[in-house]
Parts: sequence; structure tokens; C-alpha cells
Amino acid sequence: MIERMLNSPLAQWLDERSKVVQMIRAHLLEYPTPKNLNYMWAFGSLALTVLILQVLTGILLAMFYKPSAMATLGGYTQAFDSVERIMRDVNYGWLLRYMHAVGASAFFFVIYMHFARGLYYGSYKKPRELLWLIGVLILLIMQGTAFFGYLLPWGQMSYWGATVITNLFGAIPVIGDFLLQLLRGGFGVGDPTVNRFFSLHYLFPMLLIGIVVIHIHALHVVHSNNPEGIDIPEESTIPFHPYFTVKDGFGVGVFLIIYSYFVFYNPTAWGLFLETDNFSPADSFQTPAHIAPVWYLTPWYTILRSFPDKLMGVVAMGLSLVLLFFIPWLDRSKVRSARYRPVYRQMVLLFFASVVVLGYCGHNPPTVVLKLVGRIATAVYFSFFLFLPLVSRFEKPKPLPREI
Amino acid sequence: MRRLNILGASLLLALVTFPLLASASTEGPELKHAGISLDRDTLRKGLQVFSETCISCHSAKYITYRDLMDYPEIGLTRKEADELRGDKSLLSGLVTALSPADAKAAYGKIPPDLSVIARAREGGGDYIYSILTGFAHDPKGRIPDGNYNLYFPGNNIAMPDPLSWLDHDKDEEADLKEQARAVASFLVFIGDPHQQERRALGRWVILFLVLLTLVLYALKREVWRDVEH
Repeated sequence: MIERMLNSPLAQWLDERSKVVQMIRAHLLEYPTPKNLNYMWAFGSLALTVLILQVLTGILLAMFYKPSAMATLGGYTQAFDSVERIMRDVNYGWLLRYMHAVGASAFFFVIYMHFARGLYYGSYKKPRELLWLIGVLILLIMQGTAFFGYLLPWGQMSYWGATVITNLFGAIPVIGDFLLQLLRGGFGVGDPTVNRFFSLHYLFPMLLIGIVVIHIHALHVVHSNNPEGIDIPEESTIPFHPYFTVKDGFGVGVFLIIYSYFVFYNPTAWGLFLETDNFSPADSFQTPAHIAPVWYLTPWYTILRSFPDKLMGVVAMGLSLVLLFFIPWLDRSKVRSARYRPVYRQMVLLFFASVVVLGYCGHNPPTVVLKLVGRIATAVYFSFFLFLPLVSRFEKPKPLPREI
Repeated sequence: MRRLNILGASLLLALVTFPLLASASTEGPELKHAGISLDRDTLRKGLQVFSETCISCHSAKYITYRDLMDYPEIGLTRKEADELRGDKSLLSGLVTALSPADAKAAYGKIPPDLSVIARAREGGGDYIYSILTGFAHDPKGRIPDGNYNLYFPGNNIAMPDPLSWLDHDKDEEADLKEQARAVASFLVFIGDPHQQERRALGRWVILFLVLLTLVLYALKREVWRDVEH
């Protein structure tokens, strides 16, 4: 059926003027894919699925949301009111909002898994360095998008989270104050802040879409890595369609079941996706007992908190993300997959564990024990980057297979 | 199956850590179990308690009299809604007559709007139920009766014992508990008034997705049969 469509006069007419049929063939149908990809490779198409869900629900939500901190009856604001109107009076508004809120967490979960797969199987190594760089850029833009979006409901956690995070920019020497006021549109988080955050929350995903297209283009130039991490001949590949359209389709199905469980039965995820404190309207006179970002940003929040000096914390947090860009050049080993790198395998698993522990510490109030644990996890996190250039000097890789 | 190990381990880790993360932040005495129920009798009883007691100080501005007719869980008739609203508009929210200034003078603070209160407190309905039935005498005698609450953070609550729980007779206890349970249920309901509809719809969505995914799995098996991998 697809063939008939692609050979139709209309498709041919379009193709002669845009090469669209050739593009569909090259990128969606014939794209040569290694036949041994495991289900960790499903997270790429899942990320695209969630991005589309987020954009669609976001466009619809923006039709009803009001970015205004103007006070209304009962200590609320127009922004908070409009979110509650969406939840109560807009037809299926509750569904849109929960899909969007759960989608944000789902997006990060999927992207973190996608990153973990890339790190474990060495997908960042030559010739895929550029692909990796674009990926890290996507992560940073996502984190920005999530941060801007979290202010919009104008709850307690929105307000205080934005206050704490924008404050960090104030710690930067010389330009700190300027940046702080530029971000907030004033001296404190207020009406101008929610206006510009709404604008940026709409802008960043558009950037994201453009960069995702470049990411996919870059992938299709160098082709997919595989679990063995070896270069493979043409004979070991199979066309993307139908093999991976159905395999990824199955993956999307499994994902949507889990996603729907949260959307329909547990939209706040025990206060993890939508924090309990954020159902209280923002109050600039009352600081919540414990301010923490949503779970997907807590690992970096812990790194920030692990340093007694504010500027040092900000630098460490920035570094922890910026270092990701350098992984392709820090890692000197020619062997890609951790399957054949016994030392790196332990290292990268420890790195994953440190991120999970950092996330746990950042979510909870900093007790003496958790502070210590957070600091140890921070040390483990950074030592991964420190040992990465050294490990290949003494690591004896296992013999690589010739073929897959 | 080895290839599934990492995926499986990660999913398991996520599933285990999520509830752990969530439960780690609760503190204070363990809340009483309210037995929240969203059936019509309970919710109507809760509405009655709300409009006889709570509304003297608290609003629930996101719920209008019209909503009380429209939500099938409550389903007031037009006549009942008219009796309840008095001369207020049908589209008016449930708003208290107590002005913020008077509230501040009488209680030292403005009572919070209760529209989403059940969602804004750890423990939700159980927390509200525990507060309403948690008034006691301060063992240290510092906080006056009516302001000492076992479940309120810091124990000193500005809200004076709305159901007169303190020093109640034994034979009133069942009725007071029932009032607290009903109004806690009502507040849980109005915090997310489409929650029953959501759960009902979710059943069909997930059933459809499970069937679709099974079909896709069978299709995947069929398509991949000729590939050695």
C-alpha cells in the first residue's frame, strides 16, 4: 500500500519538486538498521513520540492558560485560576493537563534511558560524536523547557523553585545581577517572570523540534550503533520498515500503557510528577518547608547543594552538565560497547547509580546523612569523567566479534 | 534474554524508587484513616457540612452552585441549588461571607480557600479527617483549647475546632466522625472533580492499548521471523 502511495501521480509530482518521496524512502523505509538492536534502542522513537504528545497537548493548553500573576479572590492568581479552569471547565482539559504533566516526566525518563543506552554501548564514539553533542544540547534545552513550564501554574513550588534557580544566576560574578533581573524581568519573581517564562516555554520546544530533526539527520548519516559496538557490513542490516516500524511500534504500545496508567490512575505519581505543595497558590511571604525541583532535575540540584559555597555549587552543577559534551574525547578507548570493556562497564554502571542516588538526595530534605551521601555521589559522578581518559590505558578489552 | 537485563533492571529500579521517594518526605504522627468515599450520599452529606460549617470562614471558589447540579456525583436539583445559594448567582463559587479583613482580625490569618486543599496537603483526605478529629488538650498547657491539634504541623492551628470534637460525648463520636469523613470526602472530590470520569475512561483506554500492543507484538514476531538475530 505504501508503494502504491509513493508511486501515485501526486507523490511523483511532489517528489520532482521536493524529493519528498526519496526522503521518505531513505529515512523511514530503507534506512539500513543493524538487525541486533535490543529494546534499549526503542527509547529514541519513544522520545519522538513523547515530544509530539507534549507539543500537541501544550498547544491546546496554551489556548486556555493565562500567564498572569494578577491576584484574584482567595489568594490565587489568574494563572492558577486558568489552570484550575482547564482542570474543571474545559472539555477534557483535565486530560490535556495530566497528559502534559505526566508527559514531562515521561520525556525525561525516556531521554535518560536513551542517554544511558548511548553511554553503555559507546554510541558517542567516532563517527557519532556530533550526534552525541546534539543529544546533550537537546537535554539542556529540555531542562530549560521544563524549568520554564514549571513556573506557569503559579503554585508555591513554581514560585519558590523559580526563585531559587534564578537566584543561582545571581551568584555569577560581574554579570550575575544583570542576568538575574533579565530572567525575572524585575527584582523578584513576579508577573513579568511568568509572562516571559510562558514565551520561552513555547519557544524552547520549537528549537527542540529543529534540533531533533538535525539529530535524526546526523544519525542517518553515520547510521545506528549496535549492542556489539562494531562496524557492520551492509548484509547485517535490515531496512527500517517493516522491521523497526513494528518493533518500535510495539515499544510505543508498551510505553503508552505505562503512560496511561499514570495519566488516568496516578497523575501526581505520589507527588513526584505534580508536587503536593504546588496545589497551594504562590505566596511570596511563606517559604515552603522544603523546596525541591521535580525528580528529573534533582540529581543536579544535589550537586549544587553539595558545595558550601554558592558560586562553587553553581559552577559544579554547570560543569556536571557541560562535561557531558566532552565524553567522546575523554574516552580514549577504540572499543565502543561496554560488553567488551570490563572496567568501563563497572564504571558506567556506578555512574548510573550515582545519578539515581543524587536524584534521591535532591528530592529529600538535606539531613546530615543525606548531605554526606549526596557528596559521595557527587564525587562518584565527577570521578567518572576523571577516570574516563585513564581507563583505556590499562583496561584489556575482551575480543570483539567479527560480525553480529 | 540477557539483552533485556539492563532494561528490566532499570524499570524495576524506577518502580521501586518512585514510591520510596514519595513516602520519604512525610513526617509527624501517622494520619488516621478516613475511609474516603465518593458515593453520592457521602458527598451530599459532606456538602451539607461544608455549607453549614466550613463556609462560615472558608471558600471553595472553583466550585459553583451550577457545578453542584452538573457533577453527577452530587447532582443537586435546581430547587436544591436555589435553596443553597440564596440570593447568590448560580454561577457564583462557594464563597464565604467572612471578609479577609474580619478573618484576620478574628483569627490572625485568612482561612485558605478549600477548592484544592485536599491536593495541597500530604495525606489528602486522611489529613483533613485527622485535623478535624485531632483537637485535644495541650499536654503542656501552652496552646489554648481549640487551637491545639495533634496533626497540624507545630500543633498550633488558627482554626477553632469546627466540629466541636474537643470534649465530645461518647454518643456523639460516631456522628462527628461521620461528619469529618463526609466533608473530607467532599473536599477530595472537589479537588479534582473529574477523577471518577478519569478512572472510568482510563479502563477503556488501557484495555484498548493492551489489545493494540498485543497485536503489535504478534505482528513484530511475524515480521521478524525470517531474521536471524
